[in-house]
Amino acid sequence: MKEKVALKEKKSLILPVLPILFVVLYVWSAWYYGDVLRMARERSFWVADAEQMEFLLSQEYGGLWYIGRMLMMLFRYPWLGGLVFAAMITWSTWCLGYAMRLTARWRWIQYLPAGAFLTWIAYEGVNVYFENEAGLIMGIPFCTTVILSIWAMMIASFSRKKSPAIITVPKDETPWQNRIQLIVLLLVFAIPEMLTEVYRPYVRVIAKMNVGVINNDWQGVIETARDNAELSYRPIAAHYAIALVNTNQICERLYDIRMDYDTLYIHRGDALSSTHAINLYQEDCDYHAGFVQTCIHHAMERVTMIGPNIHSMHLLTKCALLRGEWEVAKKYLRILSDVPFEKEFVEKYSAYLDNPSLIESDKEMASIRQLEPINDSFENVYPQPAFLGYNAMLTEGRSQRALFNSLAVCMYSKSMPAFMMRTQPLAGTLPPENISDALCLMSSKDPNVMKQFPQLNFRLQTLSSSINEMKPYMKDRAKYAKELFPRYKGYYPYYYFFGNLKATRKSPKDQNSSTAGVN
Amino acid sequence: MKKILYVALVALMLISCGQKSYQVPTAFEERQTQANIYPDYKDITIPENIAPLNFMVENVQGMVAVLKGQKGQELVVSGIDRIDMDTTAWRTLLKENAGGKVNVEVYTLEGEKWYKHASHSLSVAEPIDAYLSYRLIEPGYELYRQLGIYQRCLENFAQKPIYENNRSYDDGHNHCINCHNFQNYSTDRMLFHVRSNHGGTILINGDKATKIQIKDPNILAAGVYPSWHPTKNLICFSTNKTGQTFHMYHEEKIEVVDTDSDLLLYDADRNEIKNILSTDYFETFPCWTPTGDRLYFCAAYVPEVIGVPDSLRAQLITTNYEKIHYNLMSMPYDMEKDSFGTPEVVVDAAQNGKSVTFPRVSPDGKYVLYAEGDYGQFHIWHKSSDLWVKDLQADTCYALTAANSDDVDSYHSWSSNGRWIVFSTRRMDGNYTRPFIAYFGKDGKAHKAFCLPQRDPEHNVLLMKSYNVPELSKNAVKVSTKTLHDVVYNTEGETAKYVGQPRVTDAQTGATRK
Repeated sequence: MKEKVALKEKKSLILPVLPILFVVLYVWSAWYYGDVLRMARERSFWVADAEQMEFLLSQEYGGLWYIGRMLMMLFRYPWLGGLVFAAMITWSTWCLGYAMRLTARWRWIQYLPAGAFLTWIAYEGVNVYFENEAGLIMGIPFCTTVILSIWAMMIASFSRKKSPAIITVPKDETPWQNRIQLIVLLLVFAIPEMLTEVYRPYVRVIAKMNVGVINNDWQGVIETARDNAELSYRPIAAHYAIALVNTNQICERLYDIRMDYDTLYIHRGDALSSTHAINLYQEDCDYHAGFVQTCIHHAMERVTMIGPNIHSMHLLTKCALLRGEWEVAKKYLRILSDVPFEKEFVEKYSAYLDNPSLIESDKEMASIRQLEPINDSFENVYPQPAFLGYNAMLTEGRSQRALFNSLAVCMYSKSMPAFMMRTQPLAGTLPPENISDALCLMSSKDPNVMKQFPQLNFRLQTLSSSINEMKPYMKDRAKYAKELFPRYKGYYPYYYFFGNLKATRKSPKDQNSSTAGVN
Repeated sequence: MKKILYVALVALMLISCGQKSYQVPTAFEERQTQANIYPDYKDITIPENIAPLNFMVENVQGMVAVLKGQKGQELVVSGIDRIDMDTTAWRTLLKENAGGKVNVEVYTLEGEKWYKHASHSLSVAEPIDAYLSYRLIEPGYELYRQLGIYQRCLENFAQKPIYENNRSYDDGHNHCINCHNFQNYSTDRMLFHVRSNHGGTILINGDKATKIQIKDPNILAAGVYPSWHPTKNLICFSTNKTGQTFHMYHEEKIEVVDTDSDLLLYDADRNEIKNILSTDYFETFPCWTPTGDRLYFCAAYVPEVIGVPDSLRAQLITTNYEKIHYNLMSMPYDMEKDSFGTPEVVVDAAQNGKSVTFPRVSPDGKYVLYAEGDYGQFHIWHKSSDLWVKDLQADTCYALTAANSDDVDSYHSWSSNGRWIVFSTRRMDGNYTRPFIAYFGKDGKAHKAFCLPQRDPEHNVLLMKSYNVPELSKNAVKVSTKTLHDVVYNTEGETAKYVGQPRVTDAQTGATRK
């Protein structure tokens, strides 16, 4: 009987768990969470020079975070960072099992720390690259690997017992024990994934859009936003708007995503950022809206608060070039030249120093030039954030794109008198879709609208029937907003009545007034 | 073992590569132009006790510098693209040539060929005070995180923190520090302010420190810009309601404005405070003369805000920021009676459409050094700002042309012997302030300024912080950082007793009646 059982067990499928752990960890860190870890790298900074890293080294455990950040640089290419991440965790998992002398029966325990670490990363969500120390992600596995390796070496030095295999199935494992380990392994990944998908569904989406903005992959950003149209978070809307501005669709497709703005999980922050992480997108919005100086302001604030970081320094470099501040652009490029994997950026923009005409022929910078303000004013004159506030009050722009941005902001903030004033240059034309819908909506209050835009008459019927359909839900707009969204996706009148109710009821607190001071 | 040896060998090779040295080339091509060295240390006047002026040349594969003293001494240094001089050899060279000149020949290796550039010279003059204190902080803006006040020994490269705030973000402990100041170039008495958490003014007396609170309904706000009386334990503060705003499309980035300001006198022995000037003018930037019998300050008259409630002042000031001009003023002080005389205009800058700030009287009392810009009071953000002096004997004002630049030249202080001035300037990159030192001759003229030397000449490129408020002192700060930390964190600070006239507020408008 015993022989039969043994034979049966031998014939059962038995899999090497550690290699599976490595592969799944690699897939998780390079692909599933790849964009998040890439952004953690972009919001980080590392150079070998200890004097430049003093801001980090002077902190508690600074040395460890220094190493963590160094390894984090590998996530410039998630496939590369993921490889090291997976290797460190797999190796430390094996070391733990060996050092604790776990028998095959208890070997599943060795996978728990990896699971706890992944769960913690998932729990932290956007904090991984927003407020947490960037060196944590690789610093903790590095530290664990070193400690466990030393421990394992010490055990090995006086133990005669053979160590369990890493690549193959350890000889002492029964199929049942193997299966338990596989189940634990499944949980190790299922728990953080469930946490991400259920409680932090926005984390990967925002990071993917962040990366898309960095790469100027506007189509990718738009598609990501539309694929996740039901997710309503400010960073998603902001990055989507950036992509639409860059593809001249801001007055056509902005309302394809829901805009009621749920709260993000953020540790701390000031005013808006405490729940909406404005610092995740403010610099980018400033830059792509043509507010070069405002972008410098906010990028410098980020550098002040979290130390030098690659993304802010990229923006500071580009802004310096746009302002013709060659020496400071050269300074930033020199600093970035010591950061691993920044050669491409440094080479590209160093050429601009030698030949400033390249700035004008640069597609991204040329787009910004079209949107720059014509006259100077002060940021605090406008409601915050300035990239919205300024455009809401814009009276003069350099291009039609500037006008469309202004109209888009007026529609977004439901400032209809301001919107109507700005539609005058479009009289007699067929404006973009959202503007047309907004004009139709306003025609009920001002019959002159249709005289100026006779081409829109055919839309009135649609508007009238839509409003009739929406009427029953108007008594509790907040309640029905989400329910109605799929039906009216992309339709401005829906947004006007049901969208962004929290923000338009009460304008966002001016974040500058919170902790501001003259230093 | 073998592996360890290999690693050691590779490490040794790397180290030796980093310190590559060259002999003075014998075959070279001469160039008529001077080498493009960074920082620019060409043809300057330097103190005999200054740290080595290490420099670099970009895009070269090797360089040699030959420093020849007038009296025959020679110092030869080489490197790949920068030189790091031996401090002792450098100091000997300067000491031997005090009052004379050192000629610097620079050879560069470009490709396979050596070039000899036209030489430049260093004039060696009187010594400068050995210590320079400054604050390191990111340039401007609203938020702060890691910052500190440091003291650098000018005779070498040693920099020590006087006080650093919390290194890690902590809502309960985040605090800003600013406005450090000494009495009469001595660190026996020093002060600085702490803002936000643990706020107060820290007074240092030798190796002891205490915290005080300058707040009272009768004074406008906390004490801000200080000036310590040269002989008495009195400090004149300005008290300012300050705000800042950000340009959206302008050559300048930030405009810092006061919506009101007065002058206060604090008696440190008695812990008493009183208003000394609280008028319709905005009075600020006090500075005692070396004898302590006169107080210089700046004042602006802004009729647009007289009688206007505080809530509307900021908007009005921001709208009219280019019209605000500060004059240089002074008033006598009777030390016996502890009373001030009538203020008088010393430089009527407003009449010329200019604005002057930060008066600093030379130790011999002959000159007032100040910054002149087109408008406003926070010239550290004004590219138009230049250093000027008023010759008090000849009653003339002139710009220190040789020391000034096209960019910001602002916060400045004298050395105790009056032969040197140190000031903040953004001339290197337009954004990050760096301390520059200039010789001030007996003829009242400043020489070309040079950047504070660093061991690595690229230090100023790599550093992402600005140097604020450079102040010279004869000796090192005696109080320990630990003592200061304890005082900042663990004491509340006694509130100064107000002993002046009560301040009156208009019940209808909320504006302060002066």
